[in-house]
Amino acid sequence: MKILVCVKQVPDSESPIKIDNDSGWIRMDEITEFKMNRLDEFALEEALVIKEASQNVSIDAITVGPGRSVEVIKRAIGMGADRGIHIFTEFEGYQNSLQISNGIAEFVRDRNYDLILTGAMSEDNMQGQVGPMLASRLGLPWATSVISLKLATDKNSVYVEREIEGGNRDTVVLNLPAVLTVQSGINSPRYPSLSNLLRANRQELKTIRAKDLAVQASREDLIEIVYPQKSRAGQVLQGSQEAKAAQLLEILYQKSLL
Amino acid sequence: MQRIVIIAEHIAGHIRSVTYELIAFGKKLQQLKSQSLEVIILGHEVTGLARKIADISGLDVTAIEHPEATTYNGELYGKALSVHLHDLQPAYVCVAHTSQGLDFAPSLAVELNAACITGIEDVVERDGGACFARPLFGGKITARVRPNSQTSILTIQAGIFNFRKDDAHTAGTVAIKSAPYKPRRTRSLGIKQIETDTAGLTEASVIVAVGQGIGNQDNLDIIYQLAALFPKSAVAGSRIVCDLNWLEYRCQVGVTGATVSPRLYIACGISGATQHVMGMRASEFVVAINRDPTAAIFQVADVCVVEDLTTFVPTFIKTYRKVKENI
Repeated sequence: MKILVCVKQVPDSESPIKIDNDSGWIRMDEITEFKMNRLDEFALEEALVIKEASQNVSIDAITVGPGRSVEVIKRAIGMGADRGIHIFTEFEGYQNSLQISNGIAEFVRDRNYDLILTGAMSEDNMQGQVGPMLASRLGLPWATSVISLKLATDKNSVYVEREIEGGNRDTVVLNLPAVLTVQSGINSPRYPSLSNLLRANRQELKTIRAKDLAVQASREDLIEIVYPQKSRAGQVLQGSQEAKAAQLLEILYQKSLL
Repeated sequence: MQRIVIIAEHIAGHIRSVTYELIAFGKKLQQLKSQSLEVIILGHEVTGLARKIADISGLDVTAIEHPEATTYNGELYGKALSVHLHDLQPAYVCVAHTSQGLDFAPSLAVELNAACITGIEDVVERDGGACFARPLFGGKITARVRPNSQTSILTIQAGIFNFRKDDAHTAGTVAIKSAPYKPRRTRSLGIKQIETDTAGLTEASVIVAVGQGIGNQDNLDIIYQLAALFPKSAVAGSRIVCDLNWLEYRCQVGVTGATVSPRLYIACGISGATQHVMGMRASEFVVAINRDPTAAIFQVADVCVVEDLTTFVPTFIKTYRKVKENI
């Protein structure tokens, strides 16, 4: 059984995000740390769980992104993926899901993966589109926001539960090959092991230049990025920690909340 | 004239309220550029629902009846809607940004060679065209995006656009169509109800909610201490805290958890991702404590405390006790 996991490198969620007026994008030099998109960790862990439960399972991890993204592939191998593929975009900025899914689809075609997994959404672009787009391009069935999955014993189909509003679950059986986007909480992603990390450093990654793939024109233009508008007063308390505590207490008293 | 098409969302024989929000969004889009507005509903025995939408909104509704669509099926939605929309050539297709809408919208975009813009929270005019606002980086940044294709598939966040019913309109028409497509690789088995005990969150008048900024599970103690200062209080968490098993899932506030509207909501170390905010934005008064001054939670807070919660919360409790002793 061949599994492909699509992973993405994103800024750490606690990293400050500032707008760079010159480039019209964010200031990349302000990003303190990059990491694997959290939901992609769950997707990869799910592949590793399948591999541990059966024989002859191989896992490839693929990413689309600039040079720095190599690190996320190394992490994936560190966690236990067998091979890594990097579609090199030579580009920092707003990434279009249509183009990302097109790049991955070009690579995947004729490679006979039985299962393609990815996170339900990336933390940076928050589009949630790559999984279903990839499936549609390849003519495969898909399910999003998967919180539970079980392969049939003959490995010809998969039963999944999709998390829907209010925590209820939509249940579906998909014929394999299929594309699943994974929701957090489906498992507990492991940390990379030292031996795997060493292997990741030794192992050669497959690198494909995005421009060598059939390029899909973008169907949208990023006009600008701005800081969001506040929907409430947002009084920012000033002073020492003690002073802020006293002010907050006063506010809550005045509002009869305490 | 260009068309705007709304895809109605329904579940278990009920029209979901987000459908009317999509209509409100469509009307706002209409104000930017004169376009026709119509609704499509797909499912099994949905003609009655179509009639209801036509009555309430005054819009013309097409019911696509499919005997197998007793429950949502992504493959069927993608194919059946794309066949129908291909004939209509709409400029915009408005879909709910929900577990259902986000499941089929990207597929529809591929089928129709359309742009796909998801998670829309606003629409503004730019150079005579519509430009859509959507969050990036957990809501720390807003992107304004303009499609450059003939057709655009849009998913619109729930709880933002208000539908107002006006009594003056006449009811819209209902047309019934069938979809010949049969899903081949996706078999829907229906909705599994999960126990909906929300740990008393919906009844609490004060909620102290905790996010990843808590750092580790041991620090939860100060959150319980803070909550104990308030009568009728409850402790809740963001999804990430529940994923880490630090709190039970029934304590989760957000799209996939509880939707709450307490008198006071204290968000401790919560980043304020859209999925969380949608569960708490109806709160009367919101205090946010986060050491990251750019955290999105501050956009929806009445009072912002830029501090590390693990030191600020104990300081606050101490201050409270000192004041109380002196009364």
